[in-house]
Amino acid sequence: MISLRNVWVVAERDLRTFLNYKHVLIMRALWFLAQIALFGLVVNKMLRPDVQEAVGGSYFSFYAAGIIISLLYSTSVFIGYDIYEEADHGVIEYLLSLPVSRKELVLGRSIGGGLRSFLYVSPMLMVVLYLIWSSNPQSFVSPLQLFIAFLALFLFTFGVSGFSITLAVSIKSSDKFDIFLGMINALIVRLSTTLYPLVYMPSYYAGIAQFNPLTFAADLFRWGAGLESAVLTAPAIAIFGIISFFSLFTFLGIFLHERVLEGGSWQ
Amino acid sequence: MPKPIIRIVNLTKKFGNLTAVDHLNLEIEEGEILGLLGPNGAGKTTTLLMLTTVLRPTEGTAFVGPYDVTQEPDKARTLVGMAFQDPKVLWVSTPWDILNWHAKVCGIPSNEREKRLRWVLEEVGLWNERRKSVHTFSGGMRKRIEVAKILVQRPKIAIIDEPTTQIDIVGKHRIWNMIRSLRDEGSTILLATNELYEADVLSDRVAIIHRGKLLVCDNPKKLKDSIPGGDVIEVVLGKDVSKKCLEEVERMNRVVDVLSTKPNHLKIYLNKAEEVLPQITEFFLKMRIPIKSVQMSEPTLDDVFAHYTGLTIEEAEKR
Repeated sequence: MISLRNVWVVAERDLRTFLNYKHVLIMRALWFLAQIALFGLVVNKMLRPDVQEAVGGSYFSFYAAGIIISLLYSTSVFIGYDIYEEADHGVIEYLLSLPVSRKELVLGRSIGGGLRSFLYVSPMLMVVLYLIWSSNPQSFVSPLQLFIAFLALFLFTFGVSGFSITLAVSIKSSDKFDIFLGMINALIVRLSTTLYPLVYMPSYYAGIAQFNPLTFAADLFRWGAGLESAVLTAPAIAIFGIISFFSLFTFLGIFLHERVLEGGSWQ
Repeated sequence: MPKPIIRIVNLTKKFGNLTAVDHLNLEIEEGEILGLLGPNGAGKTTTLLMLTTVLRPTEGTAFVGPYDVTQEPDKARTLVGMAFQDPKVLWVSTPWDILNWHAKVCGIPSNEREKRLRWVLEEVGLWNERRKSVHTFSGGMRKRIEVAKILVQRPKIAIIDEPTTQIDIVGKHRIWNMIRSLRDEGSTILLATNELYEADVLSDRVAIIHRGKLLVCDNPKKLKDSIPGGDVIEVVLGKDVSKKCLEEVERMNRVVDVLSTKPNHLKIYLNKAEEVLPQITEFFLKMRIPIKSVQMSEPTLDDVFAHYTGLTIEEAEKR
């Protein structure tokens, strides 16, 4: 039986470290500005009207929504770095000795890491929503759609945090983790619909990209923001994909905490 | 007869080829302070980590209260609180945040939390530093935060790993008093230490552990008495002693050996010196030999350790 109170107390601890990463935050915000104000605008001008039409009227809006998902992903994985710092300070042993179950611990950390990432990204998310809505004033935004999309994005960030915890627990060197994450980052973003829709990818890439959690999250966010387009993944499939992703990595995180950490191989 | 609150059964932990804990069997009674004494690397911390379910045993198990740590680890942890050997704090945190979160995760209600935090922070002398980042703290101050966690939690079973390393003598006494008061409030204390004096003054019983194995477990007094001739009485007499007198002393009950370092200096090796001393003084008075001085020394736990291993704790640590 999972105690929601315990899950929240664990999550709260990670939320409190929000300001530990202020330098990273500033860098990410600058990166976001460069992507939107430079790359997004320039590429938007390069694309033919039929391509713009296919992605819902404006590639800039399509791209801006995708960049937010990419940001959410890259900030949710921070929790993995926390695990290494905690291992250096022996805090992992402390966390494992507390009167909370492994399920509550992993779930709490995934939620804490995910919420923290949402807090980082929310100002930029607001900017993107403003840009999308101001460039498509006729588009209809359903509050329910937006709410569902946000809820799914929460789950997406929890899942990414769980994924990062799973990786950190499996890879014992922080250097290897950093390199591996860099490689995964390059692949997972490019093999998704964050930057371009599936229809423009070669079929062998699209075959993989359609199962990418970033594809589910990006297309769902676009749908929630009112960017209607036939190229987006169906919302029901995207929601199912995100729930599966979250469940898989939460389960793996719990399993590894019990097997790898308690087994003592961390030491 | 107090019932055991911790029952360790054939507990074993291997890291590759290294056996850190080797078929350990031990019972800890409710309400006692049990000192787990041994040199560094004896397997004390590994044992404690298995009891708190941080590490899973390779073989055997332990029961914490009614819960088997291998079968019901989540329930076992609800009874246990641990103060680690190395302070487990992140450099970005403050004492208040660390203890407040610890209290919260241990389920202490908010109305009680603030009072308890204030009391503990004052007791460990960190109240004025409560909002400072711990990266500015000395090793001793960080250690005090670690001990404070357990004082805030007041668990049914408090597991404390070397609580006073890096702490000055005033601080040591303060922490020892807190550990005693924790026990008086109802906690059972399992204290791992390699400090002989600490084990001696704090523990109701001492379990001596070496190379992962339990050598002996009893109260400190009985452990010291278990060494044949462990007590020493040194007597300086007013005149030289005859061979006959020496033989008379040697024949006394509990006397193991008598050494005459000078004709009027005797070194008597015996057990339970406090019971035999009156007999010895009476004997010399009867023999009309004046006694100039008497010095009595008890064996230390180091002598006990040496008796069972052939090494002092210091030597064992070097090996």
